[in-house]
Amino acid sequence: MRTIFHLDLDAFFVSVERILDPKLNGKPVIVGGDPKYGRGVVAACSYEARAFGLHSAMPIRTAYKLCPQGIYLHGHGDEYSRFSKTVKNILEQYAPQIEQASIDEFYIDMTGTQKMYGSMFEFATRLQKEIWDKIGLPISIGIGSNKTIAKIGSDCMKPQGITYIIPGMEKDFLALMPVETIPGVGKVMKQNLNSRGIYRISDITNLPSDYFGTAFGKYGIDLWRKAHGEGPEYLTTQRIRKSISRENTFDNDVTSDEEIKRTLFYLTGKVCQSLRKRGWEASTIDIKLRYTDFQTLTRAKTIKPTDDDKIIFETAWELMKKARTRRVGVRLIGIGLTNFSPLNEQEFLFEDYEVKRKKMLRAVTKVRDKFGYESLMFGRTEEDKKLKGMENYFQV
Amino acid sequence: MEFEINSKILEKLLSKIIPAIPLRTPMPILENFLFDIKDGLLTVSATDLEIALRTSINIAANHNIKLVIPARLLYDIVKSLEDTQINFSTDGNGKLNITTDKGFYNLSYLSAGDFPEIPVVSKEKEIVIGGNEIRKAFDKTAFAMSKEDMRPAMTGTLMEFDDDGLKFVATDGHRLVKYVNKSFKSELHEQYILPERAIAVLMKLIGESDVKIYLSKIYASFIINDIEFITRLISEKYPSYNSVIPLENENILIVNRTELLSAIKRMMLFSTSNSKQVKFSIAENSLEVSAEDIDHGSNAKENVQCEYKGDPMDIGFNTAYVNDILSHMDDDKLIFKLHSPTKASIIEPTKNEENEDIMMLLMPVRINN
Repeated sequence: MRTIFHLDLDAFFVSVERILDPKLNGKPVIVGGDPKYGRGVVAACSYEARAFGLHSAMPIRTAYKLCPQGIYLHGHGDEYSRFSKTVKNILEQYAPQIEQASIDEFYIDMTGTQKMYGSMFEFATRLQKEIWDKIGLPISIGIGSNKTIAKIGSDCMKPQGITYIIPGMEKDFLALMPVETIPGVGKVMKQNLNSRGIYRISDITNLPSDYFGTAFGKYGIDLWRKAHGEGPEYLTTQRIRKSISRENTFDNDVTSDEEIKRTLFYLTGKVCQSLRKRGWEASTIDIKLRYTDFQTLTRAKTIKPTDDDKIIFETAWELMKKARTRRVGVRLIGIGLTNFSPLNEQEFLFEDYEVKRKKMLRAVTKVRDKFGYESLMFGRTEEDKKLKGMENYFQV
Repeated sequence: MEFEINSKILEKLLSKIIPAIPLRTPMPILENFLFDIKDGLLTVSATDLEIALRTSINIAANHNIKLVIPARLLYDIVKSLEDTQINFSTDGNGKLNITTDKGFYNLSYLSAGDFPEIPVVSKEKEIVIGGNEIRKAFDKTAFAMSKEDMRPAMTGTLMEFDDDGLKFVATDGHRLVKYVNKSFKSELHEQYILPERAIAVLMKLIGESDVKIYLSKIYASFIINDIEFITRLISEKYPSYNSVIPLENENILIVNRTELLSAIKRMMLFSTSNSKQVKFSIAENSLEVSAEDIDHGSNAKENVQCEYKGDPMDIGFNTAYVNDILSHMDDDKLIFKLHSPTKASIIEPTKNEENEDIMMLLMPVRINN
């Protein structure tokens, strides 16, 4: 029998904003953009804002209609990572194994630590207090015999709750909960299940697994198991990074080629920096394009492994041009890199253009790593080319 | 028009010309042989515009005519015939009739007007070189040519005439081979770059007999027995390779070629990543080669007997390049002249054959710790 904790930082982005600016305490706070100019979705909202019916992933304009008095913030991405890291550092002092599921969610495997820490419930209380005292972040903890049940547990007593699902009681614990409590059941799945007369988790367990297998295939069997309180018992601590991607939702729908190109160029620079910092090359480049009516397209191309902004941008721009056939506004674009291999560090005999460029990219990566991404930018437009002394360094 | 020829003689002749027929081409006319019959001499030629092949044979013919005949079809017919006499005749309707004692084959031919003209290289300056010598030169160097079109000059092999002899140089920017045939000292200082395809075809044609070479700025012509081979040259500047040959590599490693090659072949099984890295850990009279397959968590190392005096160092190479180099050397004792883990290494035989000089250069792979 395993003992798995799921720790979920409550309204994480909002909580961090409140540490940075205590005046926000007790007020409805929404992170995710300015509704007057901007768009996009709610990344996080405070419990005060949730009282107005707001929830994360809601379009920011809808949120503004429901809660015009709310405080809308753009958010501080770097700060969130920093705070997340601090929480992880505290967990590392106690937990034999940690899996970071997202920026604000962790699983820890505490199996066999009762002798060291005593009651798991009391240990969870101490952990919660330590994170609150040292950092000031509220966290909810679910304790169970597998990851799925622990995650459901952490969600049901928010904020700052602790739920311990006693091993063997999983099925009873879940019985009365609505089906959408199960991680992975979204709006569409919920509607589908409801239309079959399935509302509570017990409605699932009352049916044979074959029923779900027939209706939803492998996913259905998985759902049936989750409803019985089963789930993965071991953590994936060494996650292999499978992709590096970036996307941007425009403040206003965009129709100009130039603006799309400029944004794609910026996003490409970001993913390439991240790629080079890891000492990797990527061979598959994909782009994402979302029109104003939410029609979303993705296109991908596999090329010779590279870590060069120029090659990646040119490939991505070609894909984008081919994908964008409709004459309507563009809401979002994104770029992703996959299919990684370690950088080929073969040296060259001749100092020609390609070799110089490789060295230049190595240097750019180092400078940006130290002084920030914006400290050094590639030129792109004809205007950039005209800058004094840039004639020979115009690269992309 | 009418002439006769033995099937086996024609097959032998066509088999020498067919390498110039392109496999795929946007110009269908290039998929044909040009038969030029003039005063009892049949000249067959083919070209893909990069290379051309031409040969002649005496026949008994009553007219002068030029015919453009589908190459593969004709070659396949002739190849499948037994030893027999073939009669060719035209009937004036654009049809070529081929008659043997057993059958009758009828195919269309085109007029010669559209067939591209095959360049003529001036025969003023003649170089004569033994077939074996030129074959050896390409055999030692051609493997190092670049397969990428980024630098066109490197996709070919350099033939350079100067005081030291006739030099053959090939490089892809990571490794370089220089082979010097010292019996060809020349006062001229001239460089010609032969494309990869030309070398591949030449290697098939060259036998033991002497080869006559004629060179112009754009074309080179090789006469091998009764065949003339013409190729376009790569009209680019070859990289100044002499400047990258290091002079200060003072760490000398002497190894047995076959022993190292055999170890490298095993290391290749483990160096599967993009850089195909093998590490040489060198200390006084000790060489350990090792490779690691990070994706599958496997690794290998071997000790190879050596003589070494110099600074201890760890240096990485691409296993495929090391394998290539070792496989193209003859001498069983090789010298690695090393400088440092980021600088080029020189690989040479301990003793060169008379009248020749061979040197290979290999850039390392940076070792990540």
